[in-house]
Amino acid sequence: MILAMTVGVLAAGGTYLLLQREMVRMVFGVGLLSHAANFLLLASGVPAWRDEPLVDRMDLAQAADPLPQAFVLTAIVITLAVTIFMLALAVLGHNDDTRRAPETGETHEK
Amino acid sequence: MTLSSLLPLFAAIPLLLAGLSVVFRRRWLDRTMLLALPGAALVGAVSLIVYHQSHSVLAHSVGAFSGVVAIPFVSDTFTAIMLAVTSFATLVTSVFLLKTGEDRFRFATALILLLAGGVNGALLTGDLFNLFVFVEVMLMPSYALIAITGTWRRLGVGRSFVIVNLVTSTILLMGVGLVYGAAGTVNLAALAGLATEDPMVGLAITVVLTALAIKGGLVPVHGWLPSTYPMTSPGIMALFSALHTKVALYAIFRIYSVAFGEPAPWMPVLLVLVLATMLVGAFSTMASKTLRGALAFQMIAGVGHILVAIVVMTEASLAAGMFYMVHHIITMGGLILASGALENTYGNAKLGGLSGLLGREKLLAILFALGLASLVGLPPTSGLWGKAGLVFSAAAAEDASGLSGGWIAGLTIGGIIAASIISLIGLQRVWSTLFFGHEQETYRPDDPRTGRGEPQVLTRQVRCSARLLAPATVMIAASVALFFAAGLVLPLFETAAHDLMDPSSYIKAVLG
Repeated sequence: MILAMTVGVLAAGGTYLLLQREMVRMVFGVGLLSHAANFLLLASGVPAWRDEPLVDRMDLAQAADPLPQAFVLTAIVITLAVTIFMLALAVLGHNDDTRRAPETGETHEK
Repeated sequence: MTLSSLLPLFAAIPLLLAGLSVVFRRRWLDRTMLLALPGAALVGAVSLIVYHQSHSVLAHSVGAFSGVVAIPFVSDTFTAIMLAVTSFATLVTSVFLLKTGEDRFRFATALILLLAGGVNGALLTGDLFNLFVFVEVMLMPSYALIAITGTWRRLGVGRSFVIVNLVTSTILLMGVGLVYGAAGTVNLAALAGLATEDPMVGLAITVVLTALAIKGGLVPVHGWLPSTYPMTSPGIMALFSALHTKVALYAIFRIYSVAFGEPAPWMPVLLVLVLATMLVGAFSTMASKTLRGALAFQMIAGVGHILVAIVVMTEASLAAGMFYMVHHIITMGGLILASGALENTYGNAKLGGLSGLLGREKLLAILFALGLASLVGLPPTSGLWGKAGLVFSAAAAEDASGLSGGWIAGLTIGGIIAASIISLIGLQRVWSTLFFGHEQETYRPDDPRTGRGEPQVLTRQVRCSARLLAPATVMIAASVALFFAAGLVLPLFETAAHDLMDPSSYIKAVLG
């Protein structure tokens, strides 16, 4: 139940932040949302504490489900990469209401 | 070493070569890889199509794990067709990018190769989580490609493109997690029919399909597509339009037909959304201020047409939907590349900003006329068979999910005809504002290296060069060829649709 509520709170907070105008807040929103997704993935395995899933060391009945853990690991890596990229975008052209070409050194379409 | 163990190479080789292109920065190497890789993928995909004429499904489990824990790469006729068409589109677009000099941008080659690898992987994978991973592999280079090409507006639209796609990917990931929680597996073959049997799995699969529908551009979650695509450069937009939304639609076809196997309980909702997609896309074409803006809304309308196949859900409709998808990739690619030739020569393609081009651009006028006719569904182009196939299969629709077959048939056929007429009105305006009217006297040339110049007198010598027009000509010629060769290729789509409706050989090949 606690896990489900955590997912709900994280997703609600993430959605709220995503609806803001500033890029950095949206990046935080995406961060919260992806945490919600990660908890959801973990919850899809066995949420109770289990032993590490190593075949030759543990009894299979006692071991945790390794698949959701692998999913979460992959998802974390992907989100981290995109978060860095989004933060770079947040630095470029910091005025979100700009109607003028930012100074990029280019003379393309004005 | 069997034939099937070559399947992961479709994804592995582009990824490796992308790394190679970053390490060894030689222009000749980049150029060679940019052309050789999609070419090789095209050859491989065509030989796969030929192979699937005699053998139905090819499956390989990476690392020789077996059963539901395996990471399967699966290919059947539908996969092979999509591989061939996306590789063809990538190849032609690469030629265009070489001609405009956009391949000179930092790491452009590596990014395009990564994109191609992600697309091939997403088409071949038989596992929902790997689908998510490959979709991400496909999106990461796209973010960067938006950032390095196009007008300054790309900086703004890059943000919305990244955020929309990332949030959608999160929804997709949540859906995959729910599928795992409900069914205990994310292997598509093991999920066959489960969505109908177990409502919990059905709901989880629906979350996955919702995420894919956002990526595909279904109304009412289409807004990101027409606001971002036209701001990228024409070459990149051609690449995205051929790959991104189409991979999402391919995945919808595959997952829906395997996991549900019959019309889902929410099919009436999908019917309404599909009708809205066709009509909104067609209507919005009329109000577009730029050429590529109009094309972006036609892409939305195309998504609606393709998903009619899923609403009707018969073998004939799936075959027609796949044919429409192939037609749409080729025609839309041709039109966007033609628009790119225009923009590279005259500096922009604002409707109203350019006029009276008929005298100086005869070939371009013909290409646009054919391409736009293909979008409307007029002969002699592939659009006719696409729309005719959809209409005929919808006419034979059966009762499903509480709706009578007559209603489904009436609504979808009415929607297709109404959308075609509205598109015709919008697109003839596009053509006539470009090619009729006053002959222009000044223009502002644009160059990828020096940027947009001051207004200059438009002399008789200024023309789209044949090298810039060649890629668009090849694509539009392919659309016309598809019209005349329909009798040869349609049986392929029928086989593909048969395999999709009856996934028993798919399941047998994957699970053994």
